[in-house]
Amino acid sequence: MEIDSQEQLQRKQSTYLSLDENFEIQKEVYRGQQYSQIYFARLHMMRTLLYSLVPNWKSHLPVCTVLELEEGKECIIVGTLYKHMKLKPCILDEYSKERSVAPLIKPHNFMHQDDYLVLEDESGRVKLGGTKLSPSVYVTGVVVALHGKETSAGAFFVEDVLEAGLPPQIERPLKSREDKYVVFVSGLSIGSISSNPLQFQLLVDHITGHLGDEEEQGLAAEIVHLVIVGNSVEISRGLLNGQNLASKDQSRLSEPFKELDILLTQIAASLPLDIMPGSSDPANFTLPQQPLNRCLFPGSATYNTFRSCTNPHCFELDSIRFLGTSGQNIDDLTKYSEAKDKLDFLGRTLRWRHLAPTAPNTLGCYPFTDRDPFLIDSCPDVYFVGNQEKYETRLLKGLEGQLVRLICIPRFCETGVAVVLNMRNLECHALTFGTKIST
Amino acid sequence: MATPSRKMKAFYKQKKNTTGGITKSKSSKLTKPAATDIAQLPHGVSLDLKDDDIEEEEKALREFDMNMAYGPCIGITRLGRWERAQRLGLNPPKEIEKLVKSGKVKLQSLFDGRM
Repeated sequence: MEIDSQEQLQRKQSTYLSLDENFEIQKEVYRGQQYSQIYFARLHMMRTLLYSLVPNWKSHLPVCTVLELEEGKECIIVGTLYKHMKLKPCILDEYSKERSVAPLIKPHNFMHQDDYLVLEDESGRVKLGGTKLSPSVYVTGVVVALHGKETSAGAFFVEDVLEAGLPPQIERPLKSREDKYVVFVSGLSIGSISSNPLQFQLLVDHITGHLGDEEEQGLAAEIVHLVIVGNSVEISRGLLNGQNLASKDQSRLSEPFKELDILLTQIAASLPLDIMPGSSDPANFTLPQQPLNRCLFPGSATYNTFRSCTNPHCFELDSIRFLGTSGQNIDDLTKYSEAKDKLDFLGRTLRWRHLAPTAPNTLGCYPFTDRDPFLIDSCPDVYFVGNQEKYETRLLKGLEGQLVRLICIPRFCETGVAVVLNMRNLECHALTFGTKIST
Repeated sequence: MATPSRKMKAFYKQKKNTTGGITKSKSSKLTKPAATDIAQLPHGVSLDLKDDDIEEEEKALREFDMNMAYGPCIGITRLGRWERAQRLGLNPPKEIEKLVKSGKVKLQSLFDGRM
């Protein structure tokens, strides 16, 4: 290659530390266990935490279990929420004789004004009342502490709610640092009709520094990492009908991966990249999704800059902690609860200290026996979610000085938007690629 | 559970009379024990668990299985459950660990294979 500038541009480096161990399920053996175990582990861990917070919240009130509730006695109870939802689809409904009475479901989610919350622990369950706790905000599986009293009707009248709050954050080293960028892209959907190969090629050329003048190349040299946040390929449903494939169809099935591999090879040759599986990728369905098999990437997997990761994915770059998912957890929350925007859901999961509270209720999840891998012990600096409709970002501040950058990453094949994060100040901007000629 | 099945019996009593041709007084005496039998069927499982000849060790282990504080016992070995309780800081009894590790007792919980 001809070098016409005086000095050669050097790509910046950063130290990488993978924290995916928690999301790996290789060591687990399935022994016919059910989901009660994961709820037990979750309730136990969260309750220990909430009990430690109660003295600072309302130290004058007694803490009791659901069984120990007495009518009119003010107390604090801790348990797992269950949201009773009228419109929630249930497999048994298909066998019900009164099918026609089912009310119509709204197009975007399963909420209904009659929904109510129930709190349960090992000893029992109690229906929750009062206006303090809004059923539209909470979902099944969240562990909270409630202050209130039992009413004569046997329900629990909630006067105040205590959520676990943002987890403690490890302080970032404060030394002044240079600009270093991390690029997030999700929903490449190679193989779908909306995918545009030129758009992705432009992205690849931009981050590898093959586009633009020296200034732009200088910026590209400051990109230290790329994260591909799920749904990289889309395999047409028609091919996956459980029947043997003709050899012609087999090549059609592998075509998207070949294309992806070619482009990833170009990236891996110049900077480190992480690829996470998503709901449309050929990985396991249940969370945590395990890394995509390296044999799917014969070209790019030969580089040590290529890493196939789990979903959810947690890692540290220059001791800045990143945590993110390919979007299943947030998509499921939008089906069973309501918020002003998607970023609110992200904030809630952090405050609840749980990545996917609706798993295993409405979200597929491996039946862990001894732990709940989705609990968030340590607050990330960057929390990202892939495969959303549009790019959104916000800085979330915690009560103890935590600072989290929340990012919704849009689907690249629909929007042509990748997200760039500056690791120096956690500022974020969108990188938009257009291929249409405007007239 | 007992009341609906008893009601059911009472409901079908008439029909049984006509087909079986048994007198009224006799049938009512007959149906009652039958009804209670049916009602107790689900508990039949617990009956064969109440063996008196089980050893003290097994008794202690079953008590451990039934203790809700250490979490659900299905789908997890006794040792796995003990270790989980230990890890979660629930202070499970030390004797249970010794018993399970001795290898002379059943490794699975009371309900294993019965559910």
